[in-house]
Amino acid sequence: MIKKITGAKLLVECLINEKVDVIFGYPGGAVLPIYDELFKQKKIRHILVRHEQAAVHAAEGYARSTGKIGVVLVTSGPGATNTVTGLTDAMMDSVPIVCISGQVPTHMIGNDAFQEADIVGITRPCTKHNYLVKDVDNLAGAIHSAFFIASNGRPGPVLVDIPKDIQTFRTNYEGKTNTKKISYYSPQVDPNKDSIKFFVEMIGQSEKPIFYVGGGVINSGPKASRLLFELIKKTGFPCTQTLMGLGAFPTSDQQALGMLGMHGTYESNLAMHQCDLMICIGARFDDRITGKVSGFSPKSKKIHIDIDPSSFNKSVNVDLTIQGDIKKVLKEILNLLNKKKMHFQKQKYSNWWKKINKWRKKDCLAYKNSKKLIKPQYALERLNELTKNLCPYITTEVGQHQMWAAQYLTFNKPNHWMTSGGLGTMGYGLPAAMGTQIAHPKSLVIDVAGEASILMNIQEMSTLKQYRLPVKIFILNNHYMGMVRQWQELLHGNRLSESYMESLPDFVKLAESFGAVGLRATQPNDLDLMIKEMIEIKGPVIFDVCVDETENCFPMIPSGATHDQMLLGPNDEFEDGISEDGMVLV
Amino acid sequence: MTNKSDKYIISIMVDNEPGVLARVVGLFSGRGYNIESLSVSEVDSDKFLSRVTIVTSGTKIIVDQIKAQLNKLIPVHNLIDITQQESFIAKEYILIKIKKNQKNQKKTFDIANKFNASILSDQNNELILEMVGTSLNISKFIKLLRTFGIIELTRSGLVSMPIDSSFIKK
Ligand SMILES: Cc1cc2nc3c(=O)[nH]c(=O)nc-3n(C[C@H](O)[C@H](O)[C@H](O)COP(=O)(O)OP(=O)(O)OC[C@H]3O[C@@H](n4cnc5c(N)ncnc54)[C@H](O)[C@@H]3O)c2cc1C
Ligand SMILES: Cc1ncc(C[n+]2csc(CCOP(=O)(O)OP(=O)(O)O)c2C)c(N)n1
Ligand SMILES: [Mg+2]
Repeated sequence: MIKKITGAKLLVECLINEKVDVIFGYPGGAVLPIYDELFKQKKIRHILVRHEQAAVHAAEGYARSTGKIGVVLVTSGPGATNTVTGLTDAMMDSVPIVCISGQVPTHMIGNDAFQEADIVGITRPCTKHNYLVKDVDNLAGAIHSAFFIASNGRPGPVLVDIPKDIQTFRTNYEGKTNTKKISYYSPQVDPNKDSIKFFVEMIGQSEKPIFYVGGGVINSGPKASRLLFELIKKTGFPCTQTLMGLGAFPTSDQQALGMLGMHGTYESNLAMHQCDLMICIGARFDDRITGKVSGFSPKSKKIHIDIDPSSFNKSVNVDLTIQGDIKKVLKEILNLLNKKKMHFQKQKYSNWWKKINKWRKKDCLAYKNSKKLIKPQYALERLNELTKNLCPYITTEVGQHQMWAAQYLTFNKPNHWMTSGGLGTMGYGLPAAMGTQIAHPKSLVIDVAGEASILMNIQEMSTLKQYRLPVKIFILNNHYMGMVRQWQELLHGNRLSESYMESLPDFVKLAESFGAVGLRATQPNDLDLMIKEMIEIKGPVIFDVCVDETENCFPMIPSGATHDQMLLGPNDEFEDGISEDGMVLV
Repeated sequence: MTNKSDKYIISIMVDNEPGVLARVVGLFSGRGYNIESLSVSEVDSDKFLSRVTIVTSGTKIIVDQIKAQLNKLIPVHNLIDITQQESFIAKEYILIKIKKNQKNQKKTFDIANKFNASILSDQNNELILEMVGTSLNISKFIKLLRTFGIIELTRSGLVSMPIDSSFIKK
């Protein structure tokens, strides 16, 4: 006979059976039985963060850099509500997370009990699914279902709310395979064969094709990136990548045109605008990509490969949809191409490439360097040059620095770039770097930060100290919420309402107070030596890079405009002015 | 591509678990979709399945998105767009309380007869009638009775079923 165990112990056993090796959490009254069980075992490592939001971002960094599921444990009430931003972030960027929250005992639910919050109600729209477990016999089913749902189909966060009494009640646990899932879920991962045939026909016919690839390729795993590489090499077509898709295909490859969209490259956006065939793989036609939808790539046929049918025809109508997991879809496509012995004559596409190369010659990422002031672009170019051999993991905060990082760093491998794309959460980068460093203790992990964003989760310096995590925080300090200032300059008559960062801390002293090393560069000449110094330091570093305060991020497609109406530099005027429709967009 | 807004009847089979209706309704409110009527009840007590019928309106693109989003909800097992079926039945149930009026009594009975409605209660000079019918007929019925003074009414919302194709349970 199987011995009965408590819910808390059962939870820990379920986690072990799900091969969880680390969880990010913060204790409190409603999860004490679970913390007690964690104390008694050695298989799962608990990382004590300093704020529950950071626990979720850390789990996101862990998940995105490994392909595994990130796990979070928090208490009821404020512990649980603090996770909401993190869960929403994971939802928007399709990151697999399981978040366990404590809850007041079942008989007190609904009574406005101490530290009670209806977290299942609150997180319903910002999780892929969630459970309130009211019967200890269902606990194992809920946990194993949560892991299955988080990682299958389009990944996302799942929350399991466990009342304190359920943690102490006893039940049987018969292991993962013998536990019946409590939800029915079976996403379609194999593509329809006909759609593969159509795909091959369509690419055969096109003369001006482009691959538009996104975060779904990263979600699908490194194998998807390998197959994508094979397909792109085989066809010889150009490839542009979304912010979330950077690294799905090596950005230093000749066929890579760089990022597209609002702050994408000239060549990417014009190629998207003028192509005759757009092959979208694991991207979702976000408004940062399309600009004004009615003017988006008006003359092309469009193919969309995605695991989530709700991504199809959501904002842009396409001609062929292929539902399935990308690695499976690409495998089928490559098989058919090989079977048909399809060849892609270089000559057929030479005019297209000629055009693209002409756009490339514009060198849209060129900037005017300075001898006196550190240009943020220059700082990132040097960072890239001096670290690329170490294949670093890069995370970012949100703002201009994030866009510059996307533009000026090289991403040659998937899972090495962690950024908050869909929600754009300032404060994401430091905890995400923490989670990444936990997963890759020997690797170089850098958070490219802004001085405003970094303050949003700066308390995590304490976590870095406790676990000796050698994360490098590379602050492009422009004394402004630069991205906000840029929009105010462009759209609001240069009235810089509340976007100046007054009363900043001394970041060097701040680092020191947390037992980290603080560095500061004020001159372009300082950079190389100090970047090298930063890399060599064994522990965490805050590197305060004092950059030109006035620099703006280009190219830029102003809101409400189309891909061919890009601003390339500070002297470009937007011909039509920003339309009223554009003014209300974010 | 048409921008015409049409009415759609969507029928879904869901796990009858706490919060499932909140998920469905929250999806509509959160994404700004219309609900014109909604009816829900358990239909399989062994498998704990409920059937939800939603009447919504929108362009085809929006309704396709609604269907895709509903299908993504984990407790949703199966979804059909009934309005896409070749033939289907769609009916509503109404209870209506009116003033009993000596002068109009005969007329009331005539209307009830015509619409196959029955009188469930006749007390304190008030009548309660029930009727089953298409939404259009129910509206006509209400309109005719309005002249007698309606005290209150309640409608079940549409329930619906395709005639040929079977609604596969998973
Ligand atoms: C300040 C700021 C500026 C920005 N500017 C830009 C910009 O200029 N350019 C830009 O590109 N982005 C920009 N973004 C990011 C933007 O908001 C979106 O997050 C991003 O464009 C979405 O990327 P994606 O289309 O690759 O989709 P993701 O959000 O990564 O979605 C992935 C898609 O793939 C699908 N998928 C997931 N797993 C699989 C699988 N296994 N198989 C098949 N399909 C799968 C999903 O269903 C989904 O449709 C900016 C963000 C911020 C904060
Ligand atoms: C939590 C949160 N609040 C507000 C915003 C809006 N916002 C976007 S970028 C930005 C400024 C970021 O400033 P900083 O971190 O210094 O980066 P910079 O743009 O200067 O590089 C703000 C306030 C946001 N994205 N996230
Ligand atoms: Mg700044």
